[in-house]
Amino acid sequence: MAVVVVPSLVAAQAGGQKRFEVEAGTVGEALRGLPVSDLLFDERGELRPLVNVYVDGVDARQSHGLDTKLGPTTEVRVVAAIAGG
Amino acid sequence: MSPVVLVGTKKGLFLVRGDDARTSWEVEGPQLTGWQVFHAVRDPRDGTLHAAANNWVYGATAQRSTDGGQTWDRSEGLGLPEDSELKLTEAWHVEPGHASEPDTLFLGGAPGVLFRTDDGGTTWEVNRALLEHPTRERWQPGAGGLCCHSIQIDPNDAKRMAIAISAAGMFVSEDGGESWEPRNTGVAADFMPDDKYPEVGQCVHKLLLHPARPERFWQQNHCGVYRSDDRGETWERLDKNGLPSDFGFGLALDPSDPDAAWVVPEEGAENRVTPDGQLGVYRTRDGGGSWQRLENGLPKPAWAAVLREGMAYDDRSIAVGTQSGSVFVTSDGGESWIEAASQLPPVLSVELA
Repeated sequence: MAVVVVPSLVAAQAGGQKRFEVEAGTVGEALRGLPVSDLLFDERGELRPLVNVYVDGVDARQSHGLDTKLGPTTEVRVVAAIAGG
Repeated sequence: MSPVVLVGTKKGLFLVRGDDARTSWEVEGPQLTGWQVFHAVRDPRDGTLHAAANNWVYGATAQRSTDGGQTWDRSEGLGLPEDSELKLTEAWHVEPGHASEPDTLFLGGAPGVLFRTDDGGTTWEVNRALLEHPTRERWQPGAGGLCCHSIQIDPNDAKRMAIAISAAGMFVSEDGGESWEPRNTGVAADFMPDDKYPEVGQCVHKLLLHPARPERFWQQNHCGVYRSDDRGETWERLDKNGLPSDFGFGLALDPSDPDAAWVVPEEGAENRVTPDGQLGVYRTRDGGGSWQRLENGLPKPAWAAVLREGMAYDDRSIAVGTQSGSVFVTSDGGESWIEAASQLPPVLSVELA
């Protein structure tokens, strides 16, 4: 079962849960199934531009993005881009 | 109940609690850490806290708390319909609805949009008439985006509403939001290249109706301070009457005196700090015929900046929050001020609860 790890700020919006075990075929399916998916995707279902996703340590953009396949032990890590003020 | 100032900051929400005399204040928080709280309000009908909270990465949200801010729930599905070809960029202001509609609230956002909930904030529906307003193509975003920041509901009629958008102007609805009519006659838009008094495009910074005389509106505009006694049909400009500038953001009223108002002038659009190196709050008690600077207890030297949600009032006090992280409170009409909190993150909003 794949695992999704989200940043603390997002975890706080899910009752403090930081790790989610998910049954999903792709990165996109895994993220869209989270109770905080609306923070990661906008109202068009597009990944917000400052949300980065790493699959087993590799930027998903360097693979197949949200279509990247998940294996049984894959770790998907959501990382906020360096931004703010 | 002891007073609380809900202080929305760039780094979360703080609750500044006062004693019954409103002379001693303590800071609690932050809550919603990591979120820019553009506005937070306590619904007087049921005590629920509501917040318009935004994040650079995770977007615009509406949040509510039924336990005084210990825990928060995020509303579901907040966003704009696909056919609008617009996306919600920021949540700006939450306004509890009319007393006769206890589960109804309104949420203003950018780009120039208004939402309504009839289930206490679980779900929100965009106002179509405003979203598809025929003048929308003439609206222009200001530095804060195209924000719907003021939502006023007539206490005598739930269907009579007024909103303000920067920079689109004031709009009034007589039918609960089914239609919206611009109300900007006589309000300047000096930044426009040709027509300085267009039908729409005015940069209202804050719009308030007087709760005891709801046909009277006040507005602090990018280009002046104004009062209307006919629900925005006509406006009288008031900033030539002793204010040091026409520019400012915040606005406060006295619920027992329709002729009173308080503003915090800034030097101007090109230098948004209080003039003369001090924080001065200006008060009128004659409907804007004259203004008096109030400074007892306010810092000097100071180059302060107060944002559009940075002033609030109730029946006893006025609160002013600055971008330098202070909250000042007066409970004698502005004759004296207490620094209720300092060294907070930049203050985006205050509300008295």
